[in-house]
Amino acid sequence: MSPNGLGTAVALLALTAPIAVELLAQGWQDDVDYPADPGVTYEDLLEGLSVSTQWPTYSGDYTGRRHSPLTQIKPRNVHRLVPQWTFQSGTTARGRGFETNPLVFNGVLYVTGPNNYAWALDARTGRPFWEYRRDLPSDLTYGARAPVNRGFGMLGQRLFMVTLDAHLLAFDRTTGSILWDTVLADYRVGHAATAAPLVIEGKVIVGISGGEYPTRGFVDAYDPETGLRIWRFYTVPSPGERGSETWPDDAQILARGGGATWMTGSYDPELDLIYWGVGNPNPDFYGDSRPGDNLYTSSLIALDAATGTLRWHYQFTPHDLYDWDSAHVPVLADLSIGGKPRKVVMVANRNGFFYVLDRTTGELLLGKPFTETTWAREIGPDGRPIVLNDGSKGCLPDMWGGTNFMPPSYHPALAMLFVTARETCAIYAPQEPEQLTPGAWNIGGVVWVESDQGYGALRAIDVRTGERKWQFRYPTPTIAGVTTTASGLVFAGDNEGNFIAFDARTGKPLWHYQTGAPIWGAGAVTFMLDDRQLVLIPSGSSLTAFALPDD
Amino acid sequence: MFRPPFAILIVAAPLIAGAVGVNPYEGDSGAIRVGEALFRSQCAACHGPDAKGISAPDLTALWTSGATDERIYRMIRTGVPESAMPPSGAPDKQLWAIVAYLKNLGAVPAWPHATGDPDRGREVFAVECARCHRMHGNGGRHGPDLSNIAAIRTRETVARAIREPSASVTAGYRAVTLVTSDGARLRGIAKGEDAFSIQIIDANERLRGFRKADLRAVDHERTSAMPEFGPADLSDAVLEDLLEYLHRETATDGSAAPPEPSPSAASE
Repeated sequence: MSPNGLGTAVALLALTAPIAVELLAQGWQDDVDYPADPGVTYEDLLEGLSVSTQWPTYSGDYTGRRHSPLTQIKPRNVHRLVPQWTFQSGTTARGRGFETNPLVFNGVLYVTGPNNYAWALDARTGRPFWEYRRDLPSDLTYGARAPVNRGFGMLGQRLFMVTLDAHLLAFDRTTGSILWDTVLADYRVGHAATAAPLVIEGKVIVGISGGEYPTRGFVDAYDPETGLRIWRFYTVPSPGERGSETWPDDAQILARGGGATWMTGSYDPELDLIYWGVGNPNPDFYGDSRPGDNLYTSSLIALDAATGTLRWHYQFTPHDLYDWDSAHVPVLADLSIGGKPRKVVMVANRNGFFYVLDRTTGELLLGKPFTETTWAREIGPDGRPIVLNDGSKGCLPDMWGGTNFMPPSYHPALAMLFVTARETCAIYAPQEPEQLTPGAWNIGGVVWVESDQGYGALRAIDVRTGERKWQFRYPTPTIAGVTTTASGLVFAGDNEGNFIAFDARTGKPLWHYQTGAPIWGAGAVTFMLDDRQLVLIPSGSSLTAFALPDD
Repeated sequence: MFRPPFAILIVAAPLIAGAVGVNPYEGDSGAIRVGEALFRSQCAACHGPDAKGISAPDLTALWTSGATDERIYRMIRTGVPESAMPPSGAPDKQLWAIVAYLKNLGAVPAWPHATGDPDRGREVFAVECARCHRMHGNGGRHGPDLSNIAAIRTRETVARAIREPSASVTAGYRAVTLVTSDGARLRGIAKGEDAFSIQIIDANERLRGFRKADLRAVDHERTSAMPEFGPADLSDAVLEDLLEYLHRETATDGSAAPPEPSPSAASE
């Protein structure tokens, strides 16, 4: 029996017979060279990427920076990067991408895929230890349109994954078996779940999809041990609650106001605040039935991690008519602004603006466009965009926006945020929905997209000023995530399938590899294994690992 | 050109129980407009803004290739298994509007018989067109194959494409000039491109790929690679001859006499 086989046996027995496990482990001890899997601790999650051999949570750590301190691969040798292995998932997200972020722990990759497949892979070879496939119902709603998943969360011996039928699952990390299965919401009314859970001490935080259906979004916290819900925050208030004054006085409209929460948030352990992006109001394009700002849609919310109560919010797109979800990874940093140290949260938003907010109070510190959008060019003193073009004066960014959910990356030493921007031209034609049916698509109109006018770009934003330092243009609008390393590299990709390494200072492309399918939604993951730095990128139905040659 | 994957469609269709019915919007101009907007926002990323195909098939000739309204409806509803085509949960009305739009694209009225002489047109085609356009297995490969042009485009569209070819250039047929590191200029048709490379068909119909790093410049031409045939180059009467020849050779609706098989076509 291999050491891994032993691990499986130990884990299986651990559920029922702890004494037998001890005996078994002792009996094998002489044959096992390395220590037993210690389990993922909260301290491991806090340390994030400062432990070079791990990538323990969606963004690498709680800050949402996707910034690795690794330096083995650097601007002067990255041109030598070569593939080490390719894993073929055997499943595709039709019309979407392989949006997952693999987690890395003790030489094993924990990977989710489209259609709620999942795997534990040997990081040395890409070979699977186990595969999981969920038996999904045939009448999925959102889950049928976008059958994607963005990754696991993990703690102890457990992995956590949400599903297209809107459940939260806990897996035994060693065997792939299901330990508990909790229903988040009724998928039949239009919900699905796709975002990687955010695991903090004693809680698994998850969001929900469904903003294009008559649904109501929420952020939930669950007990990692039992799967029982600890708290829920609804992103659209109940009648009479704070925020309900930004909606019509109609309980039915509030009950289906949208506000999905389909991207993983960030966490400040010192403030004990969770930062989470909230999606569009419903119906997406038709706003006459929902006069008002429609809080907390198209906003960033800061929730008390202990109780789920709202500490502050900032709404990027009041009364959104363009499906500009604020489904982004909030990026936490400590900046000096006006000579004062500020704890900030940064968002490059789907509405085309880059924002810096005080993350203790929600105060707006900077708001500048990073795209060519004509919707607005500045934020007024009241913190609201000064809208110049509601669509009546020519095209606006399309409903995929000036960027989208693909995670950006922040390089702290350079004080630059790297974001995949989209420049598009769309005409919005709102229409009043004829009838509202639970489980039926409800976007309130159509959008004309002039596809041949669009392009994409990787843009470097100086976070102190919002100024663009450089850009690299892609032929078409692109949905690729971004990752940076301390050696001064930016890993990104494009819709044509290139996985690309750039010089972070200059924007010069230093290396690229044509993967054969769009880099879509995912960003690179990097870690050390056997003293070599590996870089992973999902693309199409495959996951490929790169490293410098072994010689 | 891509062929629609009807083999897959036929497998998928029987999985759906019950009759779907006929399109309530057939020929409804308002619904066609809505269908076009839906198509541009939901389908165009893969099928192209004009439905002529990018990474997914050209949809402009579905009905002339044997499709029915119901099959297309079901294909959009269920998606195509094991392909990038997703299922749709959109309301029936939206799907039928898309079907109406697509059918309208392919709804080419039979070309009227005109005064031109198709035999004279054949000579014009051989001299002016065949170097770049293929028909029934003969001719060049720089421009679109015209073997079914009378079935998929109106007579007016084809006439305009001859008079003003730059007014609308089909994706995959745009001209590009590459300047190599030694300064040589190479003109061709761009068949594919990404941030670092370009794939062309050159003047000699060779498929050639280049790394942009090895090129001094990549100059995309705004105008069509096809020369303009104004009235001075091609009189109205000669244009009529040419159109009549295209009608005779490429109509599939019986509106033209069946083409006489040419020896070279029969040999393929």
